[in-house]
Amino acid sequence: MPYTGGEVTLPRRIACALAVVALALVVSNRALLAHPMEGTNAGFVQSVDGPAPGPFLYLGAKHMVTGYDHLLFLVGVIFFLYRLRDVVLYVSLFTLGHSLTLLIGVLADVSVNAYVIDAIIGLSVVYKGFENINGFERLFHVKPNTRIAVLVFGLFHGLGLATKLQEFMVSENGLVANILSFNVGVEIGQILALLGVVAMLSYWRTRPSFLSYSFAANTALMVGGFLLASIQVVDYVLFS
Amino acid sequence: MSREIAEPDTLPSRQKILMATAAALLTAAALLFGAILPAEYGIDPLGTGRVFGLLALGQSQPFAAEDGEYRTDRAELTLYPAEWVEYFYRLDEGSNMVFTWEATGPVTYNFHASPDGAPAGYAESFDAQDRDDGHGTYTAPFTGIHGWYWENIGNERITITLTTSGFYTTAEEGRARASGYKPLTDIRGNPVPNVP
Repeated sequence: MPYTGGEVTLPRRIACALAVVALALVVSNRALLAHPMEGTNAGFVQSVDGPAPGPFLYLGAKHMVTGYDHLLFLVGVIFFLYRLRDVVLYVSLFTLGHSLTLLIGVLADVSVNAYVIDAIIGLSVVYKGFENINGFERLFHVKPNTRIAVLVFGLFHGLGLATKLQEFMVSENGLVANILSFNVGVEIGQILALLGVVAMLSYWRTRPSFLSYSFAANTALMVGGFLLASIQVVDYVLFS
Repeated sequence: MSREIAEPDTLPSRQKILMATAAALLTAAALLFGAILPAEYGIDPLGTGRVFGLLALGQSQPFAAEDGEYRTDRAELTLYPAEWVEYFYRLDEGSNMVFTWEATGPVTYNFHASPDGAPAGYAESFDAQDRDDGHGTYTAPFTGIHGWYWENIGNERITITLTTSGFYTTAEEGRARASGYKPLTDIRGNPVPNVP
């Protein structure tokens, strides 16, 4: 990882701490955490009978854009991807993974515990942050294959998306069309989210603070991932 | 993964990575047990929820776990005309009680509570009406004794049946703690005995 071993002065420490706290506060806002669709959207999905591509497209996009576990993982993945074709490659691997399990998961009515899956998704964020600070090389002396990791975690992210959709008695009528629309919506949401993330990262990389703060930023990702995973564990203990 | 070639000695050291991971875990744990569990689930293992007022947030959530013993009670109280009675239970702050009561005649009623340590006679009233039944849920805003005042405002002896379920205990000082009679007078203002 490119790293300038600069002096960590007091203002930098304060900024690091603030960034960690800010990220944690954002992540802990339950409205933003991955959890079942609630309220009016849920009622709509249950009442739908037949193909409704527009609404499901919107729901897929909305779920991705407001799914902080998915977004944080993406931030971790492209944090150190400087070339556009690498971004496209890794995002495609992630997309392949989550599309596979989203489609198969709902169509085959695969039964998994949503809390367990969401906890794994939280840990995928920790994994990414840890890998970005070279944790695997330094502490475990292994160099994990990043592409395979992104694909495999993509499978889990897709299972998480599938469990959200499964929670409703989605009518058999038009099921395939609606799930495909949802999947396309997820990809549109992902593109929108990526535009924002790539824009932010590209700007940040022009500043000298990027290299100095990338370690802290990835540590903050780990905080976020631990929070996401532990909240799912709490929910599992209380509600399963 | 495409990255700029890094010099090995500028990569973060083992120790730094370990410290960062440990710090991340500790920060997440502190936030979880200190703030998120109290605010979202009403669970307060460190007591910080109470200190920062987050427990109040957690208790307005749909689900609230409770520690105390669960009980169901039924009481029948008889009131002569103009007789009044107070009937209390002891609840800790945040504990819940579901109640239903019915009177066989019209009553003036008042639900009020006194926190522990408050000066004698101090009470907060939460509901006061003339009616002959009541049903609902009560969540104690403080630890103390909480309960009902009923006064028979009719001409006949009545019975009030109170059924409660929840996380409360018997209030020794509050169980039918007090009762008495409002003085009745006849048309000329002379006192009249209540009890025949």
